[in-house]
Amino acid sequence: QTTLILGEAGPNRGARAVATQAFADDVTARTNGDLQIDIQWGGALFKADAALQGVSDGVADLGTIIGVYFPQEMVAYGIADLPLQNADAWVGMRATDALMRTDPSIAANLADQDLVYLGTFTTSAVNIGCKDTAIRTAEDIEGLKVRGVGAYGKVFNDLGANMVAMSIYDAYQGLDTGLLDCSQGYSYAVAALKQQEVMTSYTLMDWGQVGALGIFMNKFAYDALSPEHQQALNDAGVGMADTLGRLINADNDAAVQTMQEAGVEVITLDAAERDKLVARGAPYIDTWIEQANAAGLDGAGMLDRYRTLLAEFTAERDAQGYPWDR
Amino acid sequence: MDGSIIGICAFAAVIGLLAIRVPIAFALAAIGTIGTFVIFATRTGAFTPDRAVRPTTSLVFSNSFDLIHSYDLSMIPLFIALGHIAYRADITTRIYDAARVWLARVPGGVAMASVVGCGGFSAITGSSIACASTMGRICSPEMLRMGYDKSLATASVAAGGTLGSLIPPSVLFIIYGIFTETSISSLFLAGILPGILSLLGFLLTIFIWVKRKPSAAPAFTGVITGRDKWLAAVGAWPALALFGLIVGGIYGGFFTATEAAAICVAAAILIGFAQRKLTLTDLWESLRETCIQTSAIFLIAAAAKIFVAFIALTGVAPVIVNGVSDAQLSPVVLLAAIALIYLVLGMFLDPIGIMVLTLPLMVPLVESYGFNLIWFGVVVIKLLEIGLITPPVGLNVFVISNVVGKAVPIDRIFSGITRFLAIDVLVLILIMSFPIISLLIPNSL
Amino acid sequence: MLHRIERLLLDLACCAVVALGALITISVALRVTVNGGIPDTIVMVRELMVMAIVLPLAAATTARAHIVVEFLSNRMPLRTQGWLVVAGGVMGLLALSPLLYAGWNEAAHAITGGSYYFGQLNLPKWPGRVLFLIGMSFCWLRLLLLVIGDVRTLRSGGVPQMSQTTTSSFTEDGDKS
Ligand code: NA
Ligand code: NA
Repeated sequence: QTTLILGEAGPNRGARAVATQAFADDVTARTNGDLQIDIQWGGALFKADAALQGVSDGVADLGTIIGVYFPQEMVAYGIADLPLQNADAWVGMRATDALMRTDPSIAANLADQDLVYLGTFTTSAVNIGCKDTAIRTAEDIEGLKVRGVGAYGKVFNDLGANMVAMSIYDAYQGLDTGLLDCSQGYSYAVAALKQQEVMTSYTLMDWGQVGALGIFMNKFAYDALSPEHQQALNDAGVGMADTLGRLINADNDAAVQTMQEAGVEVITLDAAERDKLVARGAPYIDTWIEQANAAGLDGAGMLDRYRTLLAEFTAERDAQGYPWDR
Repeated sequence: MDGSIIGICAFAAVIGLLAIRVPIAFALAAIGTIGTFVIFATRTGAFTPDRAVRPTTSLVFSNSFDLIHSYDLSMIPLFIALGHIAYRADITTRIYDAARVWLARVPGGVAMASVVGCGGFSAITGSSIACASTMGRICSPEMLRMGYDKSLATASVAAGGTLGSLIPPSVLFIIYGIFTETSISSLFLAGILPGILSLLGFLLTIFIWVKRKPSAAPAFTGVITGRDKWLAAVGAWPALALFGLIVGGIYGGFFTATEAAAICVAAAILIGFAQRKLTLTDLWESLRETCIQTSAIFLIAAAAKIFVAFIALTGVAPVIVNGVSDAQLSPVVLLAAIALIYLVLGMFLDPIGIMVLTLPLMVPLVESYGFNLIWFGVVVIKLLEIGLITPPVGLNVFVISNVVGKAVPIDRIFSGITRFLAIDVLVLILIMSFPIISLLIPNSL
Repeated sequence: MLHRIERLLLDLACCAVVALGALITISVALRVTVNGGIPDTIVMVRELMVMAIVLPLAAATTARAHIVVEFLSNRMPLRTQGWLVVAGGVMGLLALSPLLYAGWNEAAHAITGGSYYFGQLNLPKWPGRVLFLIGMSFCWLRLLLLVIGDVRTLRSGGVPQMSQTTTSSFTEDGDKS
């Protein structure tokens, strides 16, 4: 029996934690108890911005790595953070997972850093909530004080928003005192942090997601395992997308309901307005292609492949529904 | 070797090293590093030291670097600088002179004013360390100047600093809220009455102390006229203006608590220059003192972080919590056991480290007993705050010791702390026995 | 020579505190007045924090500002206490060596790997790591020199300087309550 350590910077609560625990339990079940996973929550071993080195150096055997902290090292994974038009959590995760798992150049790039990809998460669709104002058009963003993240934040900035830097946990107070007009976020996170108490409107953007976060493994620890155990880890990694997809969709739906009950106006952004946002995001996609090329990867090719995968999983969902509904 | 045995040996080794006056930062970092190395070297069963070097060095680097490499903690050097600059610009002395004149009839009035000041300042900073380092720089030297007993002048501020996390805003409540999925705003509201209760407890401690030993707080002996009071109050305006600027700025939505530190330093410099009380040389000397102090404080905090990561690897925390969980205790005994666990861990580890190590296991246990998680959060934070002033590792005491330097040895601060601890335990028992103290405000809103 | 370098490092740290304070103040002022801001303020402040905190470590060591608990040791003879000071210094050398080694690896890795922070400016990660290495190196060197100097003092029959909270200051007032 081998016990592997998994370093996770987040708490043991919420959909992602449940999916992480389900992954650990799944690994143990698939190996008949031979592999146990001891999860260290809350960044006890390393914080999110040291996770890559932590796993690569073997501080933990496995770890959750968030791509945005490592734009250079995790450039391939960063494809899942791009402001493409892909708001479905399950589709996004399965497409990202398929790309990461099958592209040999990505595997080689990770192996250079002593890493092996195991499975992916997502924060789900990016939306925006505001106090005493509402975003109904792309133009509404101009002049607002906004907390934004990643390329989405850059687009808000380009649209004339004044970016205020603060963590999602401080956004409640920021909105409450008027330091912030709007905060980028995810529906379940709004409810979990009770932001509906200080929001007056919440705009569903149907735009994209932040999906470059997932479980990676130290390559030496991985290579030391038997092929059967390696397979068990990989299979459990694929399963994570289904587990988290089911949980996060339910949480997001419940959160939107909570917001409505709290009197928050829930707005669905007009498709034409959404397309303006997508168009504004295009330069950042081009930048990513250049960065991927500079890292020795085929940026444009990977993007084509990723878009194809997104289309495939969208088609699968439309034809058969989500796996947990089948 | 069993990880939890390594963990317990490490606690003993830290006590041993501190007893032979090894600097706190070096003791924690050395034991944390050696322990981490042993764990990584023996993980496979055989002793493989060559495989332990890379993970060990990576762990010690990332934990210390990440602590220092922080935006939120930038408030600590800035608030320490504020203390130095305000002292040199005569801002703090004036408010203390005002306090002495106005509170001449109150035994230990200036110490009480300092603790109330800590309470007010804790409404600004989310962190006890920031609260203690700023107020320590401002209050303790002034009390020493007025001839206050050294223990009283330092321990009162170390204790008062613990209000920083109980009175909102509070980083510890935010982390607790994340780990329990409870409302952070409810937690903030729940902390208010216990915070005020603790504050009153500290005031009572000072009152009893000075009643029993009046020489600990020399009373103002001169004749005070109404005009003296008026002049003293007018002289204190810069300090009051600074306080108004911070509170108005944060609660008016102009800036965050982290940003407030920078704004305040800028304002204090402007006031100092405008009143011709501050020179460029003074300013630079203040900054040099600030940097030396900040660097010593962060070295301890970084070493404590390394030690926490090592303790996480040992798995000693789950062993303890599972032991309590398996014992099937009655609710009252369980609460007592939990209090004991947090107090013992609080002797060695920092509050955030303890929460990260224990909450994932503790919260399900507490939930299974049907306890209210908001109230339990207040209990946990109060316990962690007590840990900040208990020996051998009491971060608030180290901060005060660092700030007052040669004037007061650390043992004197700890000896003063024991008196505050006695009443703090009473306050804790009240908070634990009467959940309504915590829940009254969040439930009524 | 080392003293002058320490002074320089300390002054650089002061500059870092001024810079991060100014950066935050200006971005607040811009936000309140013209609804603008400075890009990547957070990243720059975090890098400046490393500069402000790690560079003065050597000066803090020279000032013997590392906090110790001494209620047991101050009952011992002064020369024993002197040897304990040396032991504490050796423990410090031991504790800082892995940090030095790791700091070297991290700095080299950040420079050769070209890592950067996500943001408007994509600022590089190496400056903070190099500053960390510089600060730690001088602290380690200073600690080593202190240990050597203290051993010499003890061998020649003297007693080395203690930390800031010394036995002498403990006994300077008669009040032992
Ligand atoms: Na506070
Ligand atoms: Na303690």
